[in-house]
Amino acid sequence: MNFFRSTWSIALYTWREGIRKKTLLGFLILSILVIFGSTFMTAFMAAPQRAVDLGESTVEADVQSKLIKDICVSAITIFGVLITIFISASVVPQEMDNKVIYTVLSKPVSRFQYLLGKFAGVQLIVLVNLLLMTLLFFAALWIRESVIPTLILWSALLTYFQFLIVSAFTFAISCTSTSSVLPTIGGLFIYITGNLTEYLNDVSARVSESTNAVDYYIGMLAYGLYRMLPNLRDFDLKDQILHLAPNDPPADAMIPQLLLAGSVYALAGYVLAYVLFRRREL
Amino acid sequence: MPEVIETQQLTKTYEGGYFARQDVHALKSLDLAIHRGEIFGYLGPNGSGKTTTIKMILGLIFPTSGTIRVMGREDIASADVRRKIGYVPEGAYYPDFLRGEEVLRFYGQLYGLGGKDLEKRIDKVIDIVGLGHARKRLVRGYSKGMRQRVGLGQALLSDPDVLILDEPTTGLDPLARKEIRDILASLRDGGKTLMISSHELLEVELISNRVAILYQGQLRTCGTIDELLTDRDTTIEASGLTPEALEKMKQAGISAEDVVNGRGLLRVPKTMSLYEAMDACRQAGLAIGSVAPRRETLEELFVRIVGTARREELASATA
Repeated sequence: MNFFRSTWSIALYTWREGIRKKTLLGFLILSILVIFGSTFMTAFMAAPQRAVDLGESTVEADVQSKLIKDICVSAITIFGVLITIFISASVVPQEMDNKVIYTVLSKPVSRFQYLLGKFAGVQLIVLVNLLLMTLLFFAALWIRESVIPTLILWSALLTYFQFLIVSAFTFAISCTSTSSVLPTIGGLFIYITGNLTEYLNDVSARVSESTNAVDYYIGMLAYGLYRMLPNLRDFDLKDQILHLAPNDPPADAMIPQLLLAGSVYALAGYVLAYVLFRRREL
Repeated sequence: MPEVIETQQLTKTYEGGYFARQDVHALKSLDLAIHRGEIFGYLGPNGSGKTTTIKMILGLIFPTSGTIRVMGREDIASADVRRKIGYVPEGAYYPDFLRGEEVLRFYGQLYGLGGKDLEKRIDKVIDIVGLGHARKRLVRGYSKGMRQRVGLGQALLSDPDVLILDEPTTGLDPLARKEIRDILASLRDGGKTLMISSHELLEVELISNRVAILYQGQLRTCGTIDELLTDRDTTIEASGLTPEALEKMKQAGISAEDVVNGRGLLRVPKTMSLYEAMDACRQAGLAIGSVAPRRETLEELFVRIVGTARREELASATA
């Protein structure tokens, strides 16, 4: 009971402190402006499509709808990942800087509990922000298309697991750092690399036929990284949102497997954070 | 009865240098014992190892060798032991978007307290640190002294046996200092043990039972205030201190301090009797205002001990 009370207390404190960060608020406001703005912007962009002789109004509406979806999904992903990285990178280093960590860890709170509370607080922030942005997009699309866009909800779920993976590893890096700069760079690196793992597979396949020893080792390395790193692209339903009907179920997406993979990667990130932080001198 | 805090051969070395080893010895074989119910002043210049010792006692950093016992127990990271220690770090931040009592509620929950027990404990702590009038105000509007009271409050929530305070009065105005000092004295009178690390030597002298002075990670002296401040002399308040009179006093071996408009204090060395000193004053034509015995201050002891340590260090470096 005490374990959960203390951990929840740290999580709630992290959340209350986190939502007051100006940078985070800035990202959130910007994303909301983009989502709102996209719906107004498309109203002025239909003219060139009039030349298409395929039932004018249908094509126009389709292009507009795709544009809105493209802008909104991109905004949610970009601002969401920035918020995730920024908050995951800063919660622990900031507490070391302002010495709150000393007052907390001198209480009967283990380092495991402390990290769990901080990580849970970060997830609360990420979730609330993602929900806000998704709800706005969901409402805009619902009003526009007159159908409940359930695909957006599937996309939000997978996007959260994508953020969870990035957050866990950024958090782990932050546990070795006294400032949030290095973990922020690390988080961006993880996100970018996680979206490029297919290229690693390509590299591995291309050099596998080479007889050159250097190529062979590069191929092995690329293949190893491909197998080890999370493929964040798998969590992205943007193409389906653009091309399917808003109320279609996700096609070909192995959602349970992705959720399991996301959870395993997040757990690995958290365990790494604990291993790095367990004997860290504060 | 075990000591409240006891260290044996406590050593902390930070490894440094990537190519050539440049280890930093933050603490060298420290043997320390803090008794129950005392205020223990832990002194030393910057970088002497005070905060390192405190952090090791709290389990925030780990000893290279040696042992630490708190209330006779070596498992200092256990929740039981942690409940018995309250810690007030120097210049800690308390969330300014919370009210005073909300900050205490947060820290209380970290002790596993909740419900009515927690509220009762918060009321009691607020009463002890004198924050009753401001408990519902945002910490944002608190003065430095009030923030320090919040710091003290969070450390007292579990009713700990021992309180460790890092620079508790630094940066406070004289009134706030006096108030914090009074709170600390009342906590000692209530049976708590306090370990205070500070540069405010006058404060420490006023409140401590025992002090230890650390220099470059080594314990230089440790004892009660009465044991340590034994260097006593006599001061004479005199007038008529002209340059000629001052010269005569100097020849007699008596130094003068704070001379303004011919009035000042004469310091009679321990080797000279009071009669000899009075004679010298009469011969110099001085009018004597008062004669008082004087004990060495903690600041003077500190300067003497640290000064000697520095000279020894310099001598060994040049040898």
